[in-house]
Amino acid sequence: MSATYRPVSWNHNKIVYDAILLIAVAVYLWIFIQVSPALHPTAAQIDGDILRMRAYGSCAFLMLSFILCIGPLARLDPRWLPVLYNRRHFGVLTCAVALMHAWYVLGWYFAFSPVDPFVALLSSNTSFARIAGFPFELFGILALAILLVLAATSHDFWLSFLTPPVWKAMHMSLYAGYTAIVLHLALGPLMAQANAALAIVVAFSVVSVAGLHLAAAVQGAAQDRDVAQAAASSPWISAGLISDLTEGRGRVVRVKGGESIAVFRHGGRISALANACAHQNGPLGEGRIVEGCVTCPWHGFQYRPEDGCAPPPFTEKLATYRVRLEDGHVLVDPRANPPGTYVEPVVIAGDAR
Amino acid sequence: MMPEAKDQSFFVGFDNNVPRPLAGFALRIAALLIGGFAMLALVLGGGGEDTGPGIYGDEIIMQGELHAKPYPFLRVAADRDHPAGRAILLAGDGKVGAEGDAKPFDGQQVVARGAALKRGTLDMMVVGSGGFSMPAKLPGAAVPAQAPVSRGTWRLSGEICDGKCLGGAMRPGSGLAHKACANLCISGGQPPVFASTGTVDGTSFFLLADKNGGPVPDAVYDLVALPVDLEGDVERVDNMLILKVDWAKLARR
Ligand code: FES
Repeated sequence: MSATYRPVSWNHNKIVYDAILLIAVAVYLWIFIQVSPALHPTAAQIDGDILRMRAYGSCAFLMLSFILCIGPLARLDPRWLPVLYNRRHFGVLTCAVALMHAWYVLGWYFAFSPVDPFVALLSSNTSFARIAGFPFELFGILALAILLVLAATSHDFWLSFLTPPVWKAMHMSLYAGYTAIVLHLALGPLMAQANAALAIVVAFSVVSVAGLHLAAAVQGAAQDRDVAQAAASSPWISAGLISDLTEGRGRVVRVKGGESIAVFRHGGRISALANACAHQNGPLGEGRIVEGCVTCPWHGFQYRPEDGCAPPPFTEKLATYRVRLEDGHVLVDPRANPPGTYVEPVVIAGDAR
Repeated sequence: MMPEAKDQSFFVGFDNNVPRPLAGFALRIAALLIGGFAMLALVLGGGGEDTGPGIYGDEIIMQGELHAKPYPFLRVAADRDHPAGRAILLAGDGKVGAEGDAKPFDGQQVVARGAALKRGTLDMMVVGSGGFSMPAKLPGAAVPAQAPVSRGTWRLSGEICDGKCLGGAMRPGSGLAHKACANLCISGGQPPVFASTGTVDGTSFFLLADKNGGPVPDAVYDLVALPVDLEGDVERVDNMLILKVDWAKLARR
């Protein structure tokens, strides 16, 4: 737990991002609720409340599907990183849309009865032992509960309060939420066989989410196998040729045992620091040097390459590593220094700036 | 100091000058998202089922003989459209059956006021509290007593629904997604109606009862909204069919 936190604050990019999200959601709901009844006589016959619960419910599902695809897409193609950047707002909006779905369900299917809507929701179908007819609402409740907890803890304050590993583990439950929504759909509307298009869309979503994660995992596993070779002077390891390291860029060096080190070339010198960003474990080695600082590709947290400290007023500190040059190779000592330890950058001969 | 190698494609969230190629890519994603959502809304919004001809109509006033069992219905005099007589199945307000209001008038000539509910041969009326009355002078003639006719034993496939939603109070008012709502209605006393794929005497809707002609037991809730086969004695009261099922020994398809 840390006493200070550093929220990723509002900026122009976030406003544009949120505006695009809101437009997409508004267009979806407007077409579903207003336009499709005008085009399809069958849709016009459906109760307005039922049409709304379907619109909000399917919208939340599509949003969550998209959110889950962003992560692997950004790993496979870094051009997706800007979409990852503000994914949390996407998640919070999804939660709001899912709440609207629940609101319409409670206000229609579970209203107009002397039984309290929440009691009715939990008690009116008790076919727990059956697949067809199972109270699929329960999976919806579970998914909504997960979305609510994640939305409530999405702010950087919670990230700092709970520490990134705990926060990250907690936010992995989004996958449980997605699974719950798929079950909610499969045992409810899909089993009712009312909408063939919905079945195709759900199948496409599941295949996309699973397929992209698999592809990213395969790529990640290939990188993980690519563990740095021990240098002659063990325990030092080789971080590749100096000439392969571009100015202003980094390289991720994987150490046996899972740790990763980010090696950066900055101003004709080389420094190494922990690869995992203190914010949300973003891959610093895939970042760049911006204004003399290692800049995380995910949300732009910055660290000085020589001591792993965020520039004032920020207080994040990362472990640093000792670096040495030998026969045109960069060698790194994989034994981490305590976070914030200053290590004199090694100057590349003939490249001092 | 030499300037650092400027890579045009690095996005820094807090930097409002997004490099051009990246901004272009992001814009394409945005267009894809909005366009994709619009298309999906068209497909999913228009892909809903046909809810059929259920109609929740205007208020009507009917006179007839009220029966409270198994679920309230009103026997009204034959007319041109219903030469065999007409029995109107009664539902209550919201998700509460009409039984509480109907019971004091069981077997009596009453005037009922409520909304007409109609889906094909399913002829219903929603009568709220205070909807039944016994005026000193009845507006029409008394309904001649006609004994119910036994139509023998039948085995039928179909779906158990709550009559009110099925009749047109909800569209769609049947199907698995609506199961909990249907259970809530039936447990609240709304009449359970079997929507069969087959017909008896030209109707595919059957008011459900237990084998002695009483209300259905709680065991029915597990079967609501599913495809089921029901077997039982069919009894005709005017133009309405009642399916009396021995719920203890029924088979699920
Ligand atoms: S993970 Fe968020 S800035 Fe690095």
